[in-house]
Amino acid sequence: MAGEEESDKKNGFKVLGILDVQNTPCAREALLHGSGGSLAAGLLHFLATSRVKRSFDVGFAGFMLTTLGSWFYCRITNAQLRMQQRLIQDGIKNKVMYEGTSLDTISKPKEQEPCPSCP
Amino acid sequence: MAHPSQLGFQDAASPVMEELLHFHDHALMIVLLISTLVLYIIVAMVSTKLTNKYILDSQEIEIVWTVLPAVILILIALPSLRILYLMDEINDPHLTIKAMGHQWYWSYEYTDYEDLGFDSYMVPTQDLVPGQFRLLETDHRMVVPVESPIRVLVSAEDVLHSWAVPSLGVKMDAVPGRLNQTAFIASRPGVFYGQCSEICGANHSFMPIVVEAVPLEHFEKWSTMMLEDA
Repeated sequence: MAGEEESDKKNGFKVLGILDVQNTPCAREALLHGSGGSLAAGLLHFLATSRVKRSFDVGFAGFMLTTLGSWFYCRITNAQLRMQQRLIQDGIKNKVMYEGTSLDTISKPKEQEPCPSCP
Repeated sequence: MAHPSQLGFQDAASPVMEELLHFHDHALMIVLLISTLVLYIIVAMVSTKLTNKYILDSQEIEIVWTVLPAVILILIALPSLRILYLMDEINDPHLTIKAMGHQWYWSYEYTDYEDLGFDSYMVPTQDLVPGQFRLLETDHRMVVPVESPIRVLVSAEDVLHSWAVPSLGVKMDAVPGRLNQTAFIASRPGVFYGQCSEICGANHSFMPIVVEAVPLEHFEKWSTMMLEDA
């Protein structure tokens, strides 16, 4: 089992020999969105202007912007999820640890009944 | 530990190392985009039939290639500084361990409650049992409780050494006469390997570090057993 996971990690494809898209979260989605954005931007520009070279430039700019935008959005969402996960884990741990003690924030203290003879 | 022919980082075993991994991914994505841009510009310059030998005062392009690198550097610097300050946060350690570097082994001292100290020598290759890792195993591991902030005070008795465990995101120089401090939290139970990271003589490559993170009750049993054996 461990050997299979290690071979999967070893065989990760590196774009330009730099970025391992299989094992890096959000990388594959960012590059795919970038490719789609590039195609859309370049094609639309060409259909509008019939200028080939400039359309390639616009397509490339679209690739950069879409990749960056998708990457940042996905990473920020993942970071927020990780933060929530950590808070939940700490909350569960504290609940288990402090249950029944004075530090237990979940169970409320029993209300004392009013004393009829007290002044 | 690392698998054969591994190029990237090991899996993170501490929150700080997780953050470092994420920052590394972020920096690599930016490097990939810059490399793609440069490649595209090279291809465009080489394949164009247009030539202009009389370009003067091209203000717009000058502004672009001044502002854009500055923006890229800010995008890299902000997360980097965040992690830098995160690593320097004052935490309340549950345990303090002294790691002393010698030629050529490490010694660990747990002196918070009782006087517990032991040496950690590499297991020679001929003494390994099947399943153990060559040049990484030690006779005594540094055992720590999981999910607890641990402070490690690093120093050396003779020459410079360096106490490093990549999966915990920890590296600290061991300097004779100086006490360096580092801290980590082991997020999950396991065995984490490291090696001396400062050249210290003939057997510099043969003084590994092994940290074993166990649940607290196991740590208490281990420390009791070590004190009894001492």
